[in-house]
Amino acid sequence: MSKQGFKTFKGGIHPPYNKELASGKAITRAPVPAELVIPLNQHIGAPNEPLVSPGDRVTVGQKIGGTDAFVSAPVHSSVAGTVKAIEDRPSFTGQIAKSVVITADAEQPAFEGKPSKPLGELTADDIREIAKEAGLVGMGGAAFPTHVKLSPPKDKPVDTVIINAAECEPFLTCDHRTMLERPSDLVEGLKLLMKAVGAKKGIIGIEANKMDAVDTVRSHVSAEPTIEVDVCDVKYPEGSEKQLIWALTGRKVPPGKLPSEVGCLVQNVGTAVALFEAATMGKPLYERVLTVSGQGIKEPANLRVLVGTPASVLVEAAGGMVSGAAKLIMGGPMTGWAQEDDTASVVKGTSGIVALPPELVDVRDEHACVRCGKCVDVCPMTLMPNFIVDSVQKEEWEKAELWGAVDCFECGCCSFTCPAYIPHVDYVRKAKAEIAALKKR
Amino acid sequence: MANSKFMATVSPHLHEKGQTIDRAMRDVLIALTPAALWAIIVFGFNAFLVMLVSIVTAMLTEVVMRWILGRKATLKDLSAVLTGLFLAFLLPVTTPLWVVAIGSFLAVGVAKELFGGLGKNIFNPALFGRVALMISPLWIYTAKFVEPFWWRGIGFFSPIHTSINNAVSGRVIYKTFTGGVVNATTSATPLSLLKSGKMLTNTVTGPTPVGATWLTSNGRPSGWSLFLGLKSGSLGEVSVLLLLVGACYLLYRRTIDWRIPVGVLGGALFIFLITWNHPLYQMLSGGIWLGALYMATDWVSSPVSRRAKWIYAVGIGVFIGLVRLYSPWPEGVAISILIWNVLTLLLDRYVAVPKFGEVKKPLFNRLPAFPKPKPIRVEEKA
Ligand code: SF4
Ligand code: SF4
Repeated sequence: MSKQGFKTFKGGIHPPYNKELASGKAITRAPVPAELVIPLNQHIGAPNEPLVSPGDRVTVGQKIGGTDAFVSAPVHSSVAGTVKAIEDRPSFTGQIAKSVVITADAEQPAFEGKPSKPLGELTADDIREIAKEAGLVGMGGAAFPTHVKLSPPKDKPVDTVIINAAECEPFLTCDHRTMLERPSDLVEGLKLLMKAVGAKKGIIGIEANKMDAVDTVRSHVSAEPTIEVDVCDVKYPEGSEKQLIWALTGRKVPPGKLPSEVGCLVQNVGTAVALFEAATMGKPLYERVLTVSGQGIKEPANLRVLVGTPASVLVEAAGGMVSGAAKLIMGGPMTGWAQEDDTASVVKGTSGIVALPPELVDVRDEHACVRCGKCVDVCPMTLMPNFIVDSVQKEEWEKAELWGAVDCFECGCCSFTCPAYIPHVDYVRKAKAEIAALKKR
Repeated sequence: MANSKFMATVSPHLHEKGQTIDRAMRDVLIALTPAALWAIIVFGFNAFLVMLVSIVTAMLTEVVMRWILGRKATLKDLSAVLTGLFLAFLLPVTTPLWVVAIGSFLAVGVAKELFGGLGKNIFNPALFGRVALMISPLWIYTAKFVEPFWWRGIGFFSPIHTSINNAVSGRVIYKTFTGGVVNATTSATPLSLLKSGKMLTNTVTGPTPVGATWLTSNGRPSGWSLFLGLKSGSLGEVSVLLLLVGACYLLYRRTIDWRIPVGVLGGALFIFLITWNHPLYQMLSGGIWLGALYMATDWVSSPVSRRAKWIYAVGIGVFIGLVRLYSPWPEGVAISILIWNVLTLLLDRYVAVPKFGEVKKPLFNRLPAFPKPKPIRVEEKA
């Protein structure tokens, strides 16, 4: 515990948060773009097949991509419109992704909710099925299919469900706003999650820089003896799954293991609310709340955005870009993807769009490691980032694994603090690919 | 909206403000400034010349060596300046300037650049330069010390110049250019006094030029004069107080890790305590503070993990104690740090840092496979 008595973990950094740019902005609806590009695969797992063809009419919430594989999440159309094409488009990661391109109708009908069973009557299996059909994934960025997380191995019962409301990435405020504006939906979503895995306890972990959200959510759980709201230290990456579990429960997930190993399940605020929506009105995950912010954005905003909306439309909706902005990031500035242009579209896991002015962009040539040990001190996984880099440079993949390349979750603390400006994450990704290839043989 | 191009680099997209190599070097230079000024006051203008020559040679060496080796110039990271100043700090004021230049060349040219440049060097460059001079035939020029404030009555600006009278017997005569002979052979460092068997008493004689108590009756400096810096020695090591002041700044800036000085000083103190060998006098004399605060904490030549840092630091401290007590040399700071610079290679490789949540907490990393099989991916390409 930190000195203020907040829950915390070892390592980590204190980046400039800049949350005030958008934290006071209520969530508004982003405009419907004329054309949407919806990647077929927005999750971790088996690839989806398109279920529509060019020329087909689609409606809001219609399933347009899916597969029978268990570890997968279907995608749905976010608008009523016509399928223009199914083709390869560059995604936000810069890689090519097979996408459904849809031309939106000028008039958009409201989503027609299907009545479902009353919440109280849903069984655990029902909830898993709902999550699966709605295409729910983790909305904090990792995009792991939710129903898979809700099916922990039989010998590893989950007793605690944690809502990850730390929102430790700088600039992002969408979870913060969601908690302020929809606290009861969040709590209902959490109750559904607890029911799905048979957990007896629910914890909502919120960073101490969102005390208004703590108060709001607390007032909504006062009647729930099984749910508590805990305040976490303001430190990055508080919202990393393993670090959050440790901070809140004192349990440590061993390397290479899932949270169910220690009886925990972690879900994001957005995912819990989406589950609630899916359970009450059958609404699939075709829209999400995200933050458009950064000193490079004229009027930072929290927007309810249709999946498939191009970044340019959202930047425009937030007043446009300040001239001379140097970087445009999909996601948060610590783990997000820098864009070459503003054409990539929003996916289920996109938590923000951040534009940075040149004075906040500090990119320099990589110097040889000067062995200061700062990266080692801040690594929340207590790895040896400098030696991972060294091993990769020498192509010694075994050693890269010994130093922890596989256990790195690419939080970026090491590079943030590195005086030699070494891009560790780049090296780690290389190491992971090589090690995986070596293991396959 | 126009498809303007942005910078597409790998995450993270933020960097800690001011966390750069240049800043770290600048921090250390700032931290050393009080001690450098004090050295000039105590040892006269000649001390400034020694520092100047050392720094300028270091910078020249870096430029030339990097040019020869086809590397990019890096003068502006200040590391050469720092190495030069450090080397000067390790030398007595009587060192002839050409010897200073040779030492500085060895420090930057050999210990740093030939080892691969900043970051790849195994040894602390300044210590390497110092010890290289010490074990070379030039040692004779670097082994004699003058009294503090030797320039009183001779002149603050009088430079010292040297001639060897008889190299075999090791007698060096120091002269000012105006002809006055500087009495260097008779003033020994606090540690050599101890080594030669002078006992410590508490009787105090006479005030110093700045008012503190100066010497004990048997000719050894008092604790206070050791702490304040009224003793003979190499340029940088004389004032414990000023070194501490600078180090506080570095600790505040988190440029150095507190574990290393605490480990070094603790390790040495432990040895002096269990042998009860004038612990206070030992701890206040010689280069132990300069070594613990500024030399052992050098980023490049110390281990990276906290665990390994503890072992390294305590190891240095213990070695200092043992060398001072059981070797023919009065001082052991430089050699102890250099030895542990080499051992750092092993510490880094074998001291295990358990990963987050690791159940078995190993103390050592597994040994490397001998002989190492070549990576399999070579075939893959074929
Ligand atoms: S090594 Fe990986 S887990 Fe550790 S700080 Fe760097 S990015 Fe984060
Ligand atoms: S922070 Fe950078 S320079 Fe320091 S040890 Fe790590 S990789 Fe090397």
